[in-house]
Amino acid sequence: MHSIIGKKVTRVDGYEKVTGKAVYGDDIKLHGMLYAANRYTDIPAGKIKKIDLSNAEKMDGVEAIVLFKDIPGKKRIGPIRQDHYILVNDEVFYCGDVIAAVAAKTKETAYAAADAIEIEYEPIEGIFDPAEAVKPDARLIHPEFKSNIVVHYPLRKGDVEKGFGESENLIERVYRTGFHEHAYIEPETVTAAPDSTTKGYKIYGSIQNPFTTRRMVAAFMGLNLNQINILGSTLGGSFGGKDDIINCMACRVALLSKITGKPVKLTYTREESIKESYKRHPYILNYKVGFNNDGKLKSMKIEIIADSGAYSSQSFFVTWRSVVQATGPYEIENVETDIRAVYTNNSYTAAFRGFGSPQIIFAKESLMDEIAAICKISPLEIRQINGFKQGSITASGQKLDEHTVSLGEVIEKAIEKSTYNAKLDEYHKKNETGSRYKYGIGLACSYRGCSLGAEGTDTTSVIVSVQADGSVYVLAGLNENGQGMRTTFCQVAAEVLGIPLEKVAFLEPQTATIPDGGPTVASRATLTGGNAVIDGALKIKNAIFNVIKDELQVSGIDETIWENGMISRIQPLPEINPISFEKAVEKSFKAGVNVSAYGWFKAPDVSWHEETGQGNAYFTYVYGCQVAEIKVDTYTGKIEVLKVTAVHDVGKVINRLGIEGQVYGGVAQGIGYAILEDFNIQNGIIKSENLDEYLIPTIKDIHEIEPVLIENSDKYGPFGAKVIGEPTLELASAAINNAMKFATGKYFYQIPLTLERVFLGKNLVKPSRQSEAVRVTHQKKHTPRVTDIAMVTPSSLKKALIMISEDYKIISGGTDIIIELRKRNETKKLLNIFQLKELKKIKKTKDEIIIGSAVPITQILSHKAIKKNFPILVEACSLIGSKQIRNRATLGGNIVNAAPCADSVPPLILYDARITLQSKNGSREIPAKDFIIENYKTQIKPDEILTSFVIPFPKKKFYHSYYQLGRRNAVNITRISIGAMIALDPEKKIEDCRIVSGSLFDRPKNISEIEELLKGQELKEILINEIEQPLKKIIDDAIGKRWSSEYKNPVFINICKDALHDIFMKLKKKK
Amino acid sequence: MAKIKFNINNKDVQLEVKDSLRLLDVLRDCMGLTGTKEGCGIGECGACTVIVNGDAVCSCLVLAGQLHGANVETIENIEQNEVLSKLQQLFLEHGAIQCGFCTPGMLMSAKALLDANPHPAEAEIKEALEGNLCRCTGYIPILNAVKAAGSE
Ligand code: FES
Ligand code: FES
Repeated sequence: MHSIIGKKVTRVDGYEKVTGKAVYGDDIKLHGMLYAANRYTDIPAGKIKKIDLSNAEKMDGVEAIVLFKDIPGKKRIGPIRQDHYILVNDEVFYCGDVIAAVAAKTKETAYAAADAIEIEYEPIEGIFDPAEAVKPDARLIHPEFKSNIVVHYPLRKGDVEKGFGESENLIERVYRTGFHEHAYIEPETVTAAPDSTTKGYKIYGSIQNPFTTRRMVAAFMGLNLNQINILGSTLGGSFGGKDDIINCMACRVALLSKITGKPVKLTYTREESIKESYKRHPYILNYKVGFNNDGKLKSMKIEIIADSGAYSSQSFFVTWRSVVQATGPYEIENVETDIRAVYTNNSYTAAFRGFGSPQIIFAKESLMDEIAAICKISPLEIRQINGFKQGSITASGQKLDEHTVSLGEVIEKAIEKSTYNAKLDEYHKKNETGSRYKYGIGLACSYRGCSLGAEGTDTTSVIVSVQADGSVYVLAGLNENGQGMRTTFCQVAAEVLGIPLEKVAFLEPQTATIPDGGPTVASRATLTGGNAVIDGALKIKNAIFNVIKDELQVSGIDETIWENGMISRIQPLPEINPISFEKAVEKSFKAGVNVSAYGWFKAPDVSWHEETGQGNAYFTYVYGCQVAEIKVDTYTGKIEVLKVTAVHDVGKVINRLGIEGQVYGGVAQGIGYAILEDFNIQNGIIKSENLDEYLIPTIKDIHEIEPVLIENSDKYGPFGAKVIGEPTLELASAAINNAMKFATGKYFYQIPLTLERVFLGKNLVKPSRQSEAVRVTHQKKHTPRVTDIAMVTPSSLKKALIMISEDYKIISGGTDIIIELRKRNETKKLLNIFQLKELKKIKKTKDEIIIGSAVPITQILSHKAIKKNFPILVEACSLIGSKQIRNRATLGGNIVNAAPCADSVPPLILYDARITLQSKNGSREIPAKDFIIENYKTQIKPDEILTSFVIPFPKKKFYHSYYQLGRRNAVNITRISIGAMIALDPEKKIEDCRIVSGSLFDRPKNISEIEELLKGQELKEILINEIEQPLKKIIDDAIGKRWSSEYKNPVFINICKDALHDIFMKLKKKK
Repeated sequence: MAKIKFNINNKDVQLEVKDSLRLLDVLRDCMGLTGTKEGCGIGECGACTVIVNGDAVCSCLVLAGQLHGANVETIENIEQNEVLSKLQQLFLEHGAIQCGFCTPGMLMSAKALLDANPHPAEAEIKEALEGNLCRCTGYIPILNAVKAAGSE
């Protein structure tokens, strides 16, 4: 039994994190520090003809600008192949390439100077499709490497052609996966400071792999490793993402620091982060498989192309993991796999939690279900027939007999815990009801090699140091990325030494004080670092034991127990008292015995044969199975992931709280990868520049996740523990895809499963031409930021009306305009009306409600009379932005932009609201339906301020329905919306009918033809169906040619009919 | 330049700041209150959430000049006399923190909710936290921590 291992332990670095005291990279401020900014390329591919620094250099406060020619050491770096330009020379390769870096006294000066650097290019036609890049006549992106193929790994086992010949069935399928952005919430930041003791540099920041960063910076600066000391900072999430990009940043700030002699900090905005950072590799996977009627797999031929983007980075390692695991946890006699990573002019790709496995798992687990269906067996049976068992041989010829092969166990557990069979019945039944929503359940399983495998040398270091009072330090050559590594290490040290966890402190590591622990990747921290901690702690334990053994009258350490800070005999003797750990340490110090130790771990040997892809790839493996339950809206294509049951064999649980946290987090990322995260890059230009367009799950998108942990102790793991971080992410997309087949009866071959892909079977993207990408826009803000604003705040409405003119832009809550100001360049004069008392009231009269234009949305939502009389207004407004946004955003602000997606507009039209506009000469009222002329254009004149909304109480009893569609469940840009209200006459015929669309036409408006059609009739199912054709014609005529209409038009018809249906049901209930 | 007078964490302050500064910059750069984080700058992530006049808001979307007379509360004010608040304690116990970068914003959103509504329903918690992105925890431990705080 363990006293600390396996328990729920709260994080050792939790206190500083809940108090805001933890120091993250951008929180660092050094004396005399300068701020850096990058000058990014304007185009994704092209030659640089001229760089003009003159305007930038002239700026007050600019201290240095560095270019390629200023690099003192290695001009190009990279973890394996040195192809990455930290500062490009005469050519750019992707949209995140940096041409120059500036250091200046203030952040703003640095940005302004970067903007002022003028570049002339000769654009080159970019290659953005990896399938194009591998063609023999394709232009070479880096001609010096002789090929666009970065790496090719083959794997050969048996004879696939023979195997196909012997198979009763043969199918071939192509799967595709998209780019995947890490989206750690902390954008990257690095600071370099000159270090006079080493004549080198100290580097701080959001650094995932300090030793790699040190190696890169030393090479780039032409210095020795011992001149670069990486101190790191608390890391705001990484998931594999804060490696290469951080190294690039560290090199740039070190160089700027050298030239200026001062500390220099470079912190990214989200846009810069998304622009420059690497992503998960998109894969195109071609699977050809031969199998018998009973489901037995005979032969598999796999060809994969991975988009490496502009640089090779980790592609060598990422794709290697794929080639090992491409056939999944199944025994197949004949396998031929070829994976190629290729250069393109896209964002480069590298490590991301999962590391080459989520892609192949998506493909081959989807494929397994399809094979099962062909053989008319269950998804469970196909996996039982082919799955690894103890002693199975993998595709690379490795015999799995050194660890417990628990594939069967994890699958069984997943079936049991998710009540899979009962759910099958339940969902089948539900799907027969003909409802708009269809339910599905699906599973996926995997095996995963632990740690680095034959990718690289797998060693790790720690220092365990006992102080004179019995307290203990642990230092590691690995990094805390947020995953809880420090806590785990402290637990292990405390367990071995038999002392309370509170006695162990984890010290901020520096590369100068601890040997290279290798990278914190491949979920290896617990496995390798935990072993190193045991090694170090055991050395100390032995040293202490030697000091006290006589006193305890024992000869071997196994005759003692170390627990709760006491060392005692297993066989107690009355005359011998246990010795406290403190006392024992004190005695050791007195005896001059060393109680500090290096702990070291070298992983067991592994092997790989490059030509045949055969060998013992990893020294141990983990197994996992996830079951996903989903609900699909067939009217819109929206998927809701109701529950994921995640079963993982972790070897041994060290910190239950930590492991469960890893499962929740990993599954949530997997859900995002499967359905939401659609990284939009076209012709090398990134369209999803920030988190408003690159959507990750919110709290409303994650429902139930049940972690189930299985413990089959591993002989190589610390206390038997293996890995957990990555397996949690890799399964959800396949499980969801399989559930989709159950729900819709259709197979899907590509993720993410966006609304359009689910609804139409394909994605729609706004067209963009390559010529658009090469158009160089001068005078643009390279880094979005709020700058050069002058704001006046009048004290009364009267004064505001006197001041208002064309020169001013009005700011109220600011939630839209500040975002706009970030992007625009011109200086803006703002007139602040947010505080004007005259605009902040909600007034109720006998006939109407008057809402001041500067009333925050939240107040509207909680106003009794509004809630009672205008339910659609409340429902629509509750979907604006987030809680924080609604607390600040105003009703006036929501409508004056006339954005097509403004949620408050359709209800205002529905309720016949009038809008009051005031100028110094008087006021006028405009019906809400006429206020917006077209998208982004309103009736408002330059000397007018929108002061209030007048909404008459409905005179009749209306039945209503409202629906808003967004890609996720909160903080959406509304894709499309519908509001409908119906009042009946005494004969139960439709007397009044209002239907308003949002985000569909050139502005939100009544669909009057349909309203007229319905009036005077009785609302019945038949009537609802009758509107379909006329509605289709109206929409097609108006917007049929838009890129999005293939999706929007039928979806709008669906939701419009559904809104009427909803009202119909309400009426029925009423009767 | 704007002269602003406001109250921050129970202290009155007077500052002269550039019009283009956001509340977030005032906190981090002018006042050294770096507990409030920036994750997107456009109101999407909530890492910058602080409480203004009792409401959670994104400090990246408030201009300094709009602060006059406001009461601002930041993460630095939650721990009092070196004692963690119940909510902070529950975040620790439920494993609601991993990298911790979303945590200050998350706590401020949760605090604003609990201050106004001490026993929120699950849907109300989700609504209060919908504007706070977390990439590490999958939200479930966070939801549980706030639920626990709400059932006290
Ligand atoms: S930084 Fe303000 S919401 Fe993201
Ligand atoms: S704990 Fe890392 S973003 Fe929430």
